[in-house]
Amino acid sequence: MYQFLTGFMFWVSVSIFFIGLFVRFIFYFTGLNWRLDRVAYKSYPFYGIKGALKSVFKWLFPFLTRVWRKHFFITIASFAFHVGAVIVPFFLLAHNVFIRGKLGIFHSIILNQLTADILSWLVVIGAVILTIRRIVLPQARILTRGYDYFILFLAVAPFITGLCARYEVGNYSFWLYSHIIFGEVFLIAAPFTKLSHLVLFFASRIQIGMDFEIKRGGMKSKNGMAW
Amino acid sequence: MYSGKLCSKEPVKTKEQLQALLKDTRGKTYYKEMQNLEVDTDLLWKTIQTTLNSRIKTWLEICSRCGICAESCFLYLANDKDPTQIPSYKIQSTLGEIIKRKGDVDNAFMQTAMETTWGKCTCCNRCAMYCPNGIDTGVMFSYLRGLLYQQGFVPLEMKIGAGMHRIYYAQMDITDEDFIDTFEWIVEEYEKDYQGLKVPVDVKNADIMYTVNAREVKYYPEDLAYAAILFNLAQENWTVTSKGWEETSLAMFAGDWEACKIQVKHVYEAMERLKPKRMIGTECGHAHRATVIEGPYWMGRKDGKPPVESIHYVEWVAEALRTGKLKINPEKRIKTPVTIQDSCNYVRNGGLKDITREIISYIVEPGYFVEMEPCGENNFCCGGGGGFNGIGIYRNHRNKGLTVKRDQIIKTGAKLVLAPCHNCWDAIRDLEEEFKIGIKWSFLKPLLIDMVEIPESMKPAS
Amino acid sequence: MFKTILLAASADHACDNAAKSAFRLADLTNAHITVFHVLGMPAHGFSQEVIDVKTGEKVEASEEYISWVKEEIKIYYAKQFEKTKSFDIKIAVGMPYREILREIKNGRYDIVTLGGTSKEKISVYKKHMLGSTVLRVAKASPIPVMVLCRPSSSFLKNISSILFCADFSKESDAAFNFAANLAKFFNCNLDIFNVADISPVFSKNIIEQDEIDSQISAAYKKIEEKYIPHTKNIIKTVANVCEGIPYVEIVKYAREKNSSLIVIAHHNKENENFGSNMEQIIVRSASPVISINK
Ligand code: SF4
Ligand code: SF4
Repeated sequence: MYQFLTGFMFWVSVSIFFIGLFVRFIFYFTGLNWRLDRVAYKSYPFYGIKGALKSVFKWLFPFLTRVWRKHFFITIASFAFHVGAVIVPFFLLAHNVFIRGKLGIFHSIILNQLTADILSWLVVIGAVILTIRRIVLPQARILTRGYDYFILFLAVAPFITGLCARYEVGNYSFWLYSHIIFGEVFLIAAPFTKLSHLVLFFASRIQIGMDFEIKRGGMKSKNGMAW
Repeated sequence: MYSGKLCSKEPVKTKEQLQALLKDTRGKTYYKEMQNLEVDTDLLWKTIQTTLNSRIKTWLEICSRCGICAESCFLYLANDKDPTQIPSYKIQSTLGEIIKRKGDVDNAFMQTAMETTWGKCTCCNRCAMYCPNGIDTGVMFSYLRGLLYQQGFVPLEMKIGAGMHRIYYAQMDITDEDFIDTFEWIVEEYEKDYQGLKVPVDVKNADIMYTVNAREVKYYPEDLAYAAILFNLAQENWTVTSKGWEETSLAMFAGDWEACKIQVKHVYEAMERLKPKRMIGTECGHAHRATVIEGPYWMGRKDGKPPVESIHYVEWVAEALRTGKLKINPEKRIKTPVTIQDSCNYVRNGGLKDITREIISYIVEPGYFVEMEPCGENNFCCGGGGGFNGIGIYRNHRNKGLTVKRDQIIKTGAKLVLAPCHNCWDAIRDLEEEFKIGIKWSFLKPLLIDMVEIPESMKPAS
Repeated sequence: MFKTILLAASADHACDNAAKSAFRLADLTNAHITVFHVLGMPAHGFSQEVIDVKTGEKVEASEEYISWVKEEIKIYYAKQFEKTKSFDIKIAVGMPYREILREIKNGRYDIVTLGGTSKEKISVYKKHMLGSTVLRVAKASPIPVMVLCRPSSSFLKNISSILFCADFSKESDAAFNFAANLAKFFNCNLDIFNVADISPVFSKNIIEQDEIDSQISAAYKKIEEKYIPHTKNIIKTVANVCEGIPYVEIVKYAREKNSSLIVIAHHNKENENFGSNMEQIIVRSASPVISINK
């Protein structure tokens, strides 16, 4: 069982994850159409790139945009959640050891145990806050469907199971198996569900950045679009 | 498939049809017929398949349904934070649903969608600036307008407006003769006051070709005279065109993309015929959006630019004041608390925020200008954009929406609101009429006319 | 003298005096009269809803509504219509002064008659504009504009004299010709009157009496040269010059002489202080004022 999950399924899920997301990213851009979207994407590469970079960069860090400043709590919760969710899987020592076994690559940046723990907890806490927010705030409640909770669950499940395994709550191997399974489910699901925002977030931000910069006044105002 | 006499999937093609629609008071017959209008679901789905591309698809898919965009929408705020006014909710429950059902929707659904599309969104694009995922709900609603228009589910005034463009190449029933005639007539009225005042028609290779909003011709011809006076005072080499003089496009509000193209093509042809150095459009926001920002794409122009450089009136004013072509008498600068309404269509979607502030620095006595909060590209829609002002059945929605602008203005304490945009101007007028908050509002031209120095050579002969 | 008269009025009391004088004029000259009513501005954006000028209410400018308004006007002026040779009623949508000017431009009218300024309803759409309908029409109209705000006595009964206010400008010459023709037509007296303006006294500089006197004699001389030769066929022409504030003196003089009509030129010099003299005369005079600017 362990063999199957860490062997065959590992390869399958990782390939699906990377290839799938890559394909989605590429398809997003090949699917754009300057006439339908009414944006001259290719005619102004300088402004296009400038707008795209700014639009991504500003939103990638907390408090750089008006929204991030205005919605203080959700910004904190959201960044806590996302930062951990992106960093931990890549830089956790255990993952690294595992990957070395598989690929022979070992990268030098490794989280120490404490940081990893904190980040993981932040992910879980962030997820809890985001969930509560969805339940409590009317403007989030009306939009939220079961699917959204499901996606949140898919994202946080590997962390919960991972933490359980880490603290050896009850049956270690049960948690380990669950962790691996949920991790792989996540990887497989990513390209096909809303989890694809992992890359499509960037795609969409690049597009809107170009849109405003090239077409909607970016070239005319002093600083381009002020997000 | 059922097709009403007035309400059908067919766009207006003849003057008679236009007349029939105009005669239908409050669209009684029109909306009654709409009850029986069938949805051509195959056509709807086919259109979606050919026109919906990765951008909108992705937007609909990755919306994290976080509701952050809620407070960016003035209609959400105006309606006591009604959750059904959240941009994401509005678009997901209409366009999102249509796509989910592969176009299989019924009459009732389409009517609700119509209300949401024209009665709950002005396509101001403010939400686009506030969504972390870069989702522009305004753009999606504009797309949805096209789908609904194609199916005949469109408010009466929008149908009429688009029809006007198809027949008159203008948003109102004003012919080319009417236009020139009115312009010359009104300029004649002022020629006693300004020596040498004239309106050059169809002059080739001029520096400026001036385009207008048909409403000016019909209801505020003074505005034409003011434009002529200011161009003459600035000693510009300018001209108007006898064809293709209308810059606006109600067709854009209606989602009638074919009419949009017809209209803008007409204007571009005038540019190509007269070969002016620049085109300057009047103080209108959506006209600028239609002819300068979106128009090139309707015409398939790869560089996204009109055939000749085209600018908004405020850009010209700023330039004329900056270069001293127009001189302001410092004593006549505005000395009442004054604020400015930033038009979505050329500020948020056209980047002209700094330009209008520059104008203010010349015409307002320091210390009297107050910014709205928020302002610039963050400003709220005036409350009447996207056709909202004109649609009878959504009048109450619109009046409710005006409250946000009202409160913004009250907070500034300004007694005068500069509104260099026809839609904003109308909305603010209606706002004053509705709530009587004791403000005045104005385009730039009439204010400038009172403030500029008149060179000796143009002063009236005594 | 007049073939067609344009009466710009709404069917209510504010316009009664003007209407009466228009019908009287039509009567005297056997002219056709066109009653012209402007519904108001479209209230919202590009919709058809208008604010009725008379009631201030929002109405849809539908065909039914327009024919209803026409009917109202017919009833309101029923008595007068009985007596006129021929008449018609026209309705327009827009800013009143603008639509009146447009109608003047498009029609073949000899004179336009307008109601008072004082009672005009101030609706929101007017607030952004300075000046009243009357002054704006007077400024731009290519045909004579007749205005009356207060009940007129002599014009309606018996036309005895015409008062022409001279100021020797180009416009004033045109006004003189018109006044002289009227006097001939009505076979009545013509009073030529000029005021040496001393209103600057109230602002800063004192004017010496000598200077005033020389102004007055110069004015007499001008009248003598310019106008008197053209008054041969008029029963009696009297010239008079005095010093003072123009509108006060004019109104006073008209009252003394019991003038039936006042003819005055509207010209650009008043631009600075747009039409203040004119406006004062209109508001105060008990006789119809005819303004000429071309
Ligand atoms: S802010 Fe963006 S992602 Fe969030 S609900 Fe609104 S549209 Fe969706
Ligand atoms: S485009 Fe403007 S009106 Fe429409 S949903 Fe967005 S913020 Fe609201």
